[in-house]
Amino acid sequence: MLQRDAFIREIITAIEHGREVVFLSADFGAAALDDLRARFPKHFVHCGISEQAMIDVATGFALEGKQVFCYAMAPFLSLRALEQIKCGPGMMNLPVCMISVGVGLGYADAGPTHYATEDFACLRAVIGSSVYTASDSASATLIAQQLLNKPEFAYVRLDRDELAAISPAPTAAAINRGYRILGEQAPNKIALLSHGKMLHACLKVVDESPEEFFSIDLIRSKPFPEDLIPLLAQTRGVVVIDEQTPCGSLASAVFEATNPWDGFVRIVSLTLPEVYVFENGGREYLLNKLGLSADGIRQTAKRIG
Amino acid sequence: MVTTVELEALAKQYRRGLFEKFLAVRQGHPGSTFSMIEIVVALYHGGFVRFDSEQKTFRDRVLISKGHATVALYPILARFGVLPQSEWDAWGKSPSALRVFGNKSIPGIDVTSGSLGHGIGVGAGMAMAHKRSGSDKRVFVVISEGELYEGSTWEALLFAAHYALSNLTVVIDINSLIILGRTEDCLSLNPIQDKIAGLGLEIRQCDGHDFASLTSAFSSQTGGTRPLIVLANTVKGKGCSIMEHKAHWHYWNPMTVEQIEQCRRELA
Repeated sequence: MLQRDAFIREIITAIEHGREVVFLSADFGAAALDDLRARFPKHFVHCGISEQAMIDVATGFALEGKQVFCYAMAPFLSLRALEQIKCGPGMMNLPVCMISVGVGLGYADAGPTHYATEDFACLRAVIGSSVYTASDSASATLIAQQLLNKPEFAYVRLDRDELAAISPAPTAAAINRGYRILGEQAPNKIALLSHGKMLHACLKVVDESPEEFFSIDLIRSKPFPEDLIPLLAQTRGVVVIDEQTPCGSLASAVFEATNPWDGFVRIVSLTLPEVYVFENGGREYLLNKLGLSADGIRQTAKRIG
Repeated sequence: MVTTVELEALAKQYRRGLFEKFLAVRQGHPGSTFSMIEIVVALYHGGFVRFDSEQKTFRDRVLISKGHATVALYPILARFGVLPQSEWDAWGKSPSALRVFGNKSIPGIDVTSGSLGHGIGVGAGMAMAHKRSGSDKRVFVVISEGELYEGSTWEALLFAAHYALSNLTVVIDINSLIILGRTEDCLSLNPIQDKIAGLGLEIRQCDGHDFASLTSAFSSQTGGTRPLIVLANTVKGKGCSIMEHKAHWHYWNPMTVEQIEQCRRELA
């Protein structure tokens, strides 16, 4: 199941149970959304291809006590509506959840207008935001459940593609904690910390060299899980892999979180280069070419020594 | 029912009080504030924004999208007792909750504003929430004509028209000036009515300083099926001759003793 369908299914379930939820779309669809629109039209609002107005309208609904979900393609929801996000749910601390689909190079080969390679930095910078990234549909389901049960100003990053289910399946406790450990943690190992699609490349490396690596799925990167910091210090080092451009990528979050920590944490970052990618060839081709692959992770890990 | 004479007296009183506050804090936006005094006096004292005297809250919403002029509401809110009189009295003298730009932490202020172009969208969301829940609450949004330069304003107008938000009234304060000069000289907006007309909204023109005209414009939505747009023609800096029609009085400016006394005389 696509992550977006998994997420929206949970919203439908909440509506079935009488929750006062409003779902806004800027002309972005999903199979599950077709179901929601057909069965619960009073809970759905089409905002036109107007991400800015969608966030302002969401702010109005939230000011009247509604829990609001805004849904759009990642590059447009994040950067085009950023000021609305800041001035509305940000400055007034409103429980508006933005569901952002197609992070990273998800919309390959549409080109850089459709890539969300700066969204993480932008939304993480908005004061008071929480940022979640789903690595599979089970994570998307649990993130939706958590946000439905405990509404907050949140930015949820979903992949466009149907990513393979990760085993073991995530738990509600892991979502609440903000991360999960995959593989066996040990002080002599390198931690591969990532989220979303790149976590799957990390897991490939862990599968091939379990004696050297374990992985961390950082489901909630903001607020950063505090109890993860001492855990990072108990490793040989941390490779942070993110399908974002360097400035403000996931590594920035890790650097900032570990900065006040007295223990030394060796951190290296692997991201997309700071270029707008116009080349075609598909997402896998582009990621491989740009070094965001299992091989690229192994090469980057050598810097830790 | 408050008479026109009483409304005019209230407007004068509020303008006078606000002038003294601007003078005390030495900042703010008197030009934009004074252009909309009659608009908000008509809304609050003319019976359009309903007051629950037991709860000391307003039933209807007022969003000042031109957030730099939200201060126009403070003396009104204090008069209704929604904003503690002590906060209004303290402003400019001692610590107070009041700010040049309004925010939601101030009693009676329904939205945090300041950045232009958000008000209609937020108001549309509120209006739709009320409409879908069967509430009869109205939402009034006051924007400056300068906000017509923001694309999000037009996005929100399309939205309000499509969903026939008849409980939404948008008042456009047209004083024909922005920071750098006349809108006609900077980047023409005219004809505003023609540009809005194609959206399928109910449009009314009025004199933004005449209570009979304002009251008539606001009343016209009764029984309507579309959002109402009130084009209120106003004078920037209305009431102080040294400020009227002057773009630079968007912001507070240093004043001589003679100028201060002249303003006080004109506002008396």
